[in-house]
Amino acid sequence: MSLKRALLAGLLLVSAPVAAQVVDSLLKPDPKDWLTYSGQYHAQRHSPLGQITAANVARLQAKWVYHMTGQKDLEATPIVANGVMYISQYNRIDAIDARSGNIIWQYQRQPVATGAQRGTGFWNNKLYVTANDKHLLALDARNGSVLWDVAVHDGLQLAGQAPLIAHGKLIVSGNQPHGYIQGYDADTGKYLWTWSPIPAADDPQLASWGGQKPDGMPIWVSGSYDPELNLIYYGTGQPEPQWAGEGRKGDNLYSDSIVALDPGTGKLKWWYQNTPHDTHDYDSLEMPVLVDAPWKGKPRKLLLQANRNGFYYILDRTNGEFLQATQFVRRVDWLKGWDDKGRPIPDPAHDPSVKGTTTCPSTAGATNWPSPTYDPKLHLFYFVAQEGCGINIRDTARNYAGTGYLESPDEGKSWQLFTRALDAFTGKKVWDYEQVTSHHYGPGLMSTAGGVVFSPEEFGQFTALDSKTGKVLWHFNTGDVITAAPVSYSVDGKQYVAIISSSNVFAFGLPGGAK
Amino acid sequence: MRRLVLIAAFAAAASAAQAQTANPYTNNAAAIEEGRGLYNNTCTGCHGANGAAGEIGPGLAIPGRSYGRNSDAQIFDAIQHGIPATVMPAHQSKLSDDQIWKITAYVKGLRGTAIDAPSPGNVANGEAIFWGKGDCGSCHMLGGKGSIIGPDLSNLASLRKTNSIIDALTKDKHRVYGPGGAQPHALVPLPTWPVVRITMADGKTVRGVLRNEDSFSLQMIGLDQQLHLFERARLKAVVYEPGSLMPTDYDKRLSKGEFDDLLAFLTRQGNPPQADKPQVRMPGGRDPD
Repeated sequence: MSLKRALLAGLLLVSAPVAAQVVDSLLKPDPKDWLTYSGQYHAQRHSPLGQITAANVARLQAKWVYHMTGQKDLEATPIVANGVMYISQYNRIDAIDARSGNIIWQYQRQPVATGAQRGTGFWNNKLYVTANDKHLLALDARNGSVLWDVAVHDGLQLAGQAPLIAHGKLIVSGNQPHGYIQGYDADTGKYLWTWSPIPAADDPQLASWGGQKPDGMPIWVSGSYDPELNLIYYGTGQPEPQWAGEGRKGDNLYSDSIVALDPGTGKLKWWYQNTPHDTHDYDSLEMPVLVDAPWKGKPRKLLLQANRNGFYYILDRTNGEFLQATQFVRRVDWLKGWDDKGRPIPDPAHDPSVKGTTTCPSTAGATNWPSPTYDPKLHLFYFVAQEGCGINIRDTARNYAGTGYLESPDEGKSWQLFTRALDAFTGKKVWDYEQVTSHHYGPGLMSTAGGVVFSPEEFGQFTALDSKTGKVLWHFNTGDVITAAPVSYSVDGKQYVAIISSSNVFAFGLPGGAK
Repeated sequence: MRRLVLIAAFAAAASAAQAQTANPYTNNAAAIEEGRGLYNNTCTGCHGANGAAGEIGPGLAIPGRSYGRNSDAQIFDAIQHGIPATVMPAHQSKLSDDQIWKITAYVKGLRGTAIDAPSPGNVANGEAIFWGKGDCGSCHMLGGKGSIIGPDLSNLASLRKTNSIIDALTKDKHRVYGPGGAQPHALVPLPTWPVVRITMADGKTVRGVLRNEDSFSLQMIGLDQQLHLFERARLKAVVYEPGSLMPTDYDKRLSKGEFDDLLAFLTRQGNPPQADKPQVRMPGGRDPD
């Protein structure tokens, strides 16, 4: 490594860059960085770094461990920018040297909080803190100083997913009192807009609730962004009451949908509903992955999503046109079929009941929020799939009945997680890796240009699989529960892979010093 | 009616029988000084001097420590009656109530920070001096403005005592009282801002303040306001400079009035005192089961 490069590597976070340059850096991120929850705007979670390969990953070794004091079961994806890693929790960010694991600064707003917080956002030398007291803050990424602190508009609670910064707008969302997405000026914190999946009074879709007041539709996972179309893509949650559909006759828009919004105004450009009239709490919050590829011989802007309801969807992301849905788990029985416009027809025979109704997939889902990944060279879509069915039980026959769900005890219907690779365009299964003992959700995935899919497992194994075959190439027991997703970055030309296991961040690299 | 009067009289008597809760010596400098003398005669054997931890008892005024007894009445009670099941004895036979209130006022004073009793002066003029003649903003950040070479001062008055702030502005070797023996078992950035000069392999130098280091690496903020992350093995030299970058002649470069105004501004920078908040667990963002 040249001295000049050493110097450049040392000179971090160039001061006061103009906004336009920084937007460019998010538009064309340096492969050495991991700047957003999903790595890049298209949410492919595919690291372009190729130093760690299928041929050498067996030699991967731990480089450092950083313990985030007072925490457990962290779900955050770290951000890495210019050799500094930022780890977040509600009210808190720790900045650490991504090469040594040494802490550089820590921001802690009172009180100390724990919970399912999934990351921070980085833009224009700023980091964004989701606070647990309905505040949103920006910190100086160099020293953790508070640059601004604003109350969340309308006093809403943030759900804690990583903010998305798109077109200079800071996008956050939440669940209470019902789902919402809000936009702020990422530079100043000025509030700009709120979009709610509850249809407005003049929206004809209000009729899709059969006269009942729309409710629910929480939005608790971050989204993706297409800068050319200038659209953000988010999933929405289930309608309320979640198990009882008889009072809300109709499709219940915009629940269980993928929505495309203008980040500047919050205006809804299009929507596609994955599960109309959901009575199984399927949501539609799995990350929408954006891919440009030929579709039936014509180049198209596609949106890929493996949905909790058991189908792998391909949409045209310019207008939401339904192109294809393929079943990716063995048993799916919540629908009777499809109409000619790509709308599934739910089967009321599988609605939850007081004595319990078996439904496939279960409410835990055929997949869930842990992030998928897409290899643009192999055209493979990797995600965590769960085979099996569940039993949905209502407490009473009343409309607003509470309930729960169970794993099906029936032969062949119990739960089993797989790391699964699909042909991204046909939706056909290419390979499976069975995650022994993991159940329920599993952590998120990351593919790399080195031909390795990093697949953490719920009970602490951090596993490297061959992208082409799913064969295990390496594994490391982190010693605690993993509910986060891995990232990859590079410092001084040396590639690292990092994962958070409960309260510890582990960084791995190949043997030897910097290249 | 008579019955009602009787009830009222009974209530008044019950109230008078309850312990006095307000300290008569709050902010009474002479009484606090007297309390210091009493404290040094009575308490330091176990608790150590100046509120730092002693041989037997815990520190009574340690930044960052959370206290079991916070109010004047609680501290008074601990001194008067002792703390059951501990070695803390009762003092009611040795000290009068009056003396115990004076010690209580002294301990409370030790615990307080500048914001509890902000310094008098023209705050607006102090702010102008901070950003202008004092040039504090060329090293420090405050309220999201300024520079990153020194510590962020947005919460200064909640963390430091007025005397400590005056010392930092005027004394070469001012000392910041740290947590002493109560160092939490946590990896935190350095509480101090040592000056280092790095010489890289090509002879180029970077000077700045250290934020962290270990046997193999250094993390620093350079005078260029950038973060620098180094591997020791690649460096030609690392020089730890004595002293601080902080100028300590503000009593000379500012007039007495300007200095007082700056102090008035600084002793108001922070969050007002509040009770310890418990840790909270946020409801799951994860799908509710």
